[in-house]
Amino acid sequence: MNDNVTLLHALVSTPSVSRDEAAVARLLVDNMCELGFDAHVDEAGNAVGLMPGGPAPDGRAQRSIVLLGHIDTVPGLIPVRIEDGLLYGRGSVDAKGCMATFTRAVASVTPTPGVDIIVVGCVEEESSTSKGARFAKDCFRPEACIIGEPSGWDAVTLGYKGCLRFKATFKAAVGHSAGPIAPIAETAADLWQGFKSWCDEHNAEKPRLFDQVLPSLQEFVTTNDGLHEHVSLRVGFRLPMEFALADLERIVAERAPQCEFEFYGHEPAWDSKATSPVARSLRRAILQAGGQAAFKKKTGTSDMNVVGPEWNCPIVAYGPGDSTLDHTPNEHLPLEDYERAILVLQSALIGGGWAQPKASE
Amino acid sequence: MTNTTDTSTTNCPECDAPLQREEGVMANEILPCEGCGAELEVTSLEPFTVELAPEVEEDWGE
Repeated sequence: MNDNVTLLHALVSTPSVSRDEAAVARLLVDNMCELGFDAHVDEAGNAVGLMPGGPAPDGRAQRSIVLLGHIDTVPGLIPVRIEDGLLYGRGSVDAKGCMATFTRAVASVTPTPGVDIIVVGCVEEESSTSKGARFAKDCFRPEACIIGEPSGWDAVTLGYKGCLRFKATFKAAVGHSAGPIAPIAETAADLWQGFKSWCDEHNAEKPRLFDQVLPSLQEFVTTNDGLHEHVSLRVGFRLPMEFALADLERIVAERAPQCEFEFYGHEPAWDSKATSPVARSLRRAILQAGGQAAFKKKTGTSDMNVVGPEWNCPIVAYGPGDSTLDHTPNEHLPLEDYERAILVLQSALIGGGWAQPKASE
Repeated sequence: MTNTTDTSTTNCPECDAPLQREEGVMANEILPCEGCGAELEVTSLEPFTVELAPEVEEDWGE
């Protein structure tokens, strides 16, 4: 195992389900310190590593670029092993492979004088809190950001849809199943179909997924205490850019006046231009490495949705791995792709002017 | 009489603004048109040729 794979293997081998990231944060910080970062675990539990560029020779204000990934995973331990050049393990793709890529790539270059390169491993990205990113967004003001999510070693993600979730609850007096009044479960099912119909109408003239409102029924629970039936629905919407949140809340409430609603987990859609400095640098680096350099937009959400609106700087997501393996029992990362991604990122940091090749020792 | 054609310039397919090939530009790079902001893909370096960049791919998940 070379040093790149040793770090990746260690991260993936350290379980870190959301809210239980302390051990992997410590591991990453210790590793960063050995590599020359000024690293620590912050108040939110994030692993933060600064590779300082020192003062700019012309006395200009210090610049920075932030590489922000996440160190938590979804549940479901997968035995960590390397077979036929593939590293299996929970988080190998989503997103410890990206964190290891960031750490190893930054350690392999020297920041340009006047530029600080900051690597952040956030906690709780996989939970609705996004606690780590919400803390980090107030700590930095970078001129560019790369989010650590699996785009594939030869692709770059330009944007993510937004999201809004709600829990709807209502109750009705118990009726006989042979009586004329529909059971509450049927009423709830009709409500869900009503939400879907609204989305279908909204999406009618919008062929691209990124422009559509995409609903999903995430939970449906009915209970009966002998006097009343209770039902709760948890529904999520994937949202397009610039979607008026208040409009959706109003439409949902109008279609289900009998419900009490609890709206939560709102994150706005966010994207960035293919011609931004960070997108161009990565694309050039991928092309130089022989890759296709595709640009993508994703239907999911990431910490880009949290820090993007706050920092309002050029922002993309990059990292090795096939995102269709995220959260699956078969999650694995080709080590060849991981090594390629490290070289691509190294080249992009240099090509974009944020770093210089390390002097030979 | 000799005709010379400047193969390092082209025009934006969207707004016809002139575009000069920058030093170091690569084939398949995406460049912005200075005139209208359109995203243009470099399809040839010699002669310098650009087309409107293809639509960004869409992908499920994160």
